[in-house]
Amino acid sequence: MRRSLMLAGLAVLAVPAAALAQAPAAAAESHGGWVGPFAVLVAGFAMAFAAGLCALGQGRAVASAVDAMARQPGAAARIQTAMIIGLALIESLAIYVLVVAMILLFVQPIK
Amino acid sequence: MDVIEHPPILRLPGIPDHVTYTWLVMIVLAGLAFAASRNVALVPRGLQNFFEVVLEQFQQLIDDVIGPEGRPFLPLIATLGLFILTGNLLSLVPGMSGPTTNLNTTAACALVVFFSYHYIGVRKQGALTYLKHFMGPVPLPLKPLMFVIEIISHLARPLSLTLRLFGNMVGGHILLAIIFFLMGLQGLIGWALSGSPVGAVVGGIGGAVMIVFTVGFLYPLKILVSFLQAFIFVMLTMLYISGAIEEAEHHGGEHAPAHH
Repeated sequence: MRRSLMLAGLAVLAVPAAALAQAPAAAAESHGGWVGPFAVLVAGFAMAFAAGLCALGQGRAVASAVDAMARQPGAAARIQTAMIIGLALIESLAIYVLVVAMILLFVQPIK
Repeated sequence: MDVIEHPPILRLPGIPDHVTYTWLVMIVLAGLAFAASRNVALVPRGLQNFFEVVLEQFQQLIDDVIGPEGRPFLPLIATLGLFILTGNLLSLVPGMSGPTTNLNTTAACALVVFFSYHYIGVRKQGALTYLKHFMGPVPLPLKPLMFVIEIISHLARPLSLTLRLFGNMVGGHILLAIIFFLMGLQGLIGWALSGSPVGAVVGGIGGAVMIVFTVGFLYPLKILVSFLQAFIFVMLTMLYISGAIEEAEHHGGEHAPAHH
């Protein structure tokens, strides 16, 4: 299982390199070299991982908050405020990845 | 971002878009405030009533989070909240560009928060006492380490405030832009109008589904996110201010009931 996953990852990483190896050198140079395709791949994968793990974390937070609200409806307002702040703090980690992905896609600091 | 997003309709030459639309937000807010407070009545009606309700909500929030000593900071907090909310909602109007979708605007707001809560803390407890609280309740050998960690965490606050607002707004914008791009004249609707029978069926149905999805789901979601992000920015500002002024009471004998 793990070996096949690693092979799949290597294959994914090899695809743009192979495609670039076949492309004429002039075309590759006018498109800015080999970093661009990798940057696009990395941006997509990074956002996918970040979104998935952020969803796991937020799911745990919301589950326990809803649990607490069901046990103590009187404290629901305070729990909800704390939950929203916590969700914002968790979400900001995924937002960092989004910003990095956008830098890779739009700003392209390394050509 | 001009790659996927159409530039806004109104552009002043030589001035960046986010500055133009920041001015627009300023004009809107100042005009509304002026119109609401032009003839203040004891029994409020109309616009004055609306603004009193809004500001009372802000004051209620401040009382809940900071306590009554937070009342003097109502202008700072309410201005930040109203500006960010109006900027977020303005970016949803087609043909407009929201000021909060630019990193410079959100960084400006976050830096204002950063400097003002340190200023409030120093004013409240004096520079030395304030700096001493960065070292935390740890034994003496650990204090320098704690100090460095606290400095880093305080420096991360404006960064996270900036990037959270910016990323949420721009992420939603990219999503909307891609949906419109899929839907537009080069996408499904263009396919429906291209004259081929298959395109008319698939593109027509797909375009209709996309329009219903966008109007019925994505736009309400974006409006919710606009309110939520403004709320979170204001809430974190209040937490930082309350952290800066509350630390004085930790050494004043009895501990306040934990409400962090």
